[in-house]
Amino acid sequence: MTASTDPTLPPNPFMDVQQNAFRRGVDKATKAAALGGVLLTITILIIVFVVLIHGSWMALRQIGWHFFTTQAWNPVPGRDQYGVLSFLYGTGITTFLALLIGVPLSIGTAIFITRIAPRWLAGPVSFLVELLAAIPSIAYGLWGCFVMSPWLQNYLEPVLYDTLKHIKIIPVGKYPSGRIEFFPANLVHGGPSGSDFLAGGLILTIMILPIITAITRDVLQQFPQEIEHGAYGLGATWWQTTRLALAYCRAGIFGAVMLGMARAIGETMAVIMVIGNTDHISASLFAGGQTMSGVLANEFMEADHPIYLSAMFYVALVLMLSSLVTNVIARALLSRIDRERQTA
Amino acid sequence: MNADAIKPEPNPFAGRSPGRRWISRGVMVLCTLCTAIALAVLFVVLAYMGIRGIEYMTPAFFTNLPLQSPEGMRNCIIGTIILVGLASVLGVPIGMLCGIYMAEYAGKGWFTYAAQLVMDLLAGTPTILLGVIAWQLVVVPLHQQSGWSGALALAFIMVPIVARASEEMLRLVPHPHREASAGLGASKAQTLFRVILPAAKAGITTGIMLGIARVAGETAPLLFTALGNDQAVYNPSQPYPSLTLKIWQYSQSAEPAWRHQAWTAVLVLVTMVLLFTAAVRFTVRGKKVNVI
Repeated sequence: MTASTDPTLPPNPFMDVQQNAFRRGVDKATKAAALGGVLLTITILIIVFVVLIHGSWMALRQIGWHFFTTQAWNPVPGRDQYGVLSFLYGTGITTFLALLIGVPLSIGTAIFITRIAPRWLAGPVSFLVELLAAIPSIAYGLWGCFVMSPWLQNYLEPVLYDTLKHIKIIPVGKYPSGRIEFFPANLVHGGPSGSDFLAGGLILTIMILPIITAITRDVLQQFPQEIEHGAYGLGATWWQTTRLALAYCRAGIFGAVMLGMARAIGETMAVIMVIGNTDHISASLFAGGQTMSGVLANEFMEADHPIYLSAMFYVALVLMLSSLVTNVIARALLSRIDRERQTA
Repeated sequence: MNADAIKPEPNPFAGRSPGRRWISRGVMVLCTLCTAIALAVLFVVLAYMGIRGIEYMTPAFFTNLPLQSPEGMRNCIIGTIILVGLASVLGVPIGMLCGIYMAEYAGKGWFTYAAQLVMDLLAGTPTILLGVIAWQLVVVPLHQQSGWSGALALAFIMVPIVARASEEMLRLVPHPHREASAGLGASKAQTLFRVILPAAKAGITTGIMLGIARVAGETAPLLFTALGNDQAVYNPSQPYPSLTLKIWQYSQSAEPAWRHQAWTAVLVLVTMVLLFTAAVRFTVRGKKVNVI
């Protein structure tokens, strides 16, 4: 191979290294390092599971499935009783409330950004919604605790009480010492405190809104123009066309909702600052409660004897598995969208 | 051709509901209302943080320690910056290596699929659990809460964020660049270090900034690891001061002066985080980057 004879051409920057063995060595080392990074990351996730299962082993052996049927949480040595039920309920009900309010809001906002707003408005609105996602959860917590909770207590909850006080939710049970007692419970019961399931649900609503909005927006932008033009050509109204878009993108939107749900399940600080931190199961929106991540944040450091600590790890394991299942479903739905985008 | 064979389908849209135009307008208004609510919430949250934070802000906040009089949070601000720096030193290289592998080396096999899934799952793991893991791995063997354990927990959070950002930024480098480089006789590694990485430099930097902005606001993973410190202790083998932990501690107290400090601290924290995020947004405008 001869070098370029034209002196006006710049020299080939890659011709300075002629030691092929060395070059191959660098090549292999680079690839090995990159692969090493991936393997290390996989190891981190494996370590997460090993540590959680190892830590909860004692509780898994001694408590087993009763963990899911016991409401009592009594960490006094000698009278130990551990059940995840009330925390599972707290996580579930706050997540449910957040999705109930947050999903319509987010999808509406995403539709506004992609299908209503003119271009000059869509960008800034998108940007502002994403700023909501960047605010740390401790900041939401402080705002929730000192601004939202008092407002709920003084203004919203009295109004809600007057409107909803006759609604009863029957089958939510109370599980004292393993015996199941059902009692009719009101949807709103007791005095408004501002630190309750409703507050937890509302703060989570704010936190999942930007995630669901951003992903739904991205998914809706994939709706093919041809279908849209065809629908308009057949005389469809804007809403009829939008419904086609929602139906076309339903897998992706469901994935977005699941991702929001995963965020709500794992959220810790903002929720513990407004939820009241008591281990109750109550149908009332005005009752205080606790979530799985909340009990970890509040009690993990206080776990002073082995079974208590092991039970804390058990809670962590249940939290990890709930979050894992939600994330896997979300990713499966969203990666299908990505693949379609790549092949298109 | 038989006339029956081309019987047109009925138009699914026209004429079925007489009020459909009004419904359409109504839904448009509803969607606009949803956006207005979302933006109003953002405005209210930021307005409270701004007003309360500035109201209670004093010069002492930036110069004094928590137990001095007047009180300040100098050590917490510095502590958070150092913690995030340590976490970056641990997390950024691993994240970038993952991103490089996924963008440049990964094939279409099961391993790529598994690696992608693992990174997504790690990104979705509740951060408090990563605090529990760091506690078990570092605090238990050393019998003491420390800055190292906090930095490790934060690094776990950074890895998937930096990995995804680098991967996306490397994919944005046009394929012909790689082909041209190979055509000049460059090896894969030379192409990577001298063509692809320089071209994606700005994007990867913003990805790292995104990771930094994200972990700077984390509280839950530090609860059992960094623990917090009222003194100006910056040795990472000691319990470590952190702005977010101090906000959490002060928000739980009944002392008004401490609550006021918490508001100021939140303003400082949110300003730092939002400036970072906004900078990222403006640098990579027009490109596709997942901020969330």
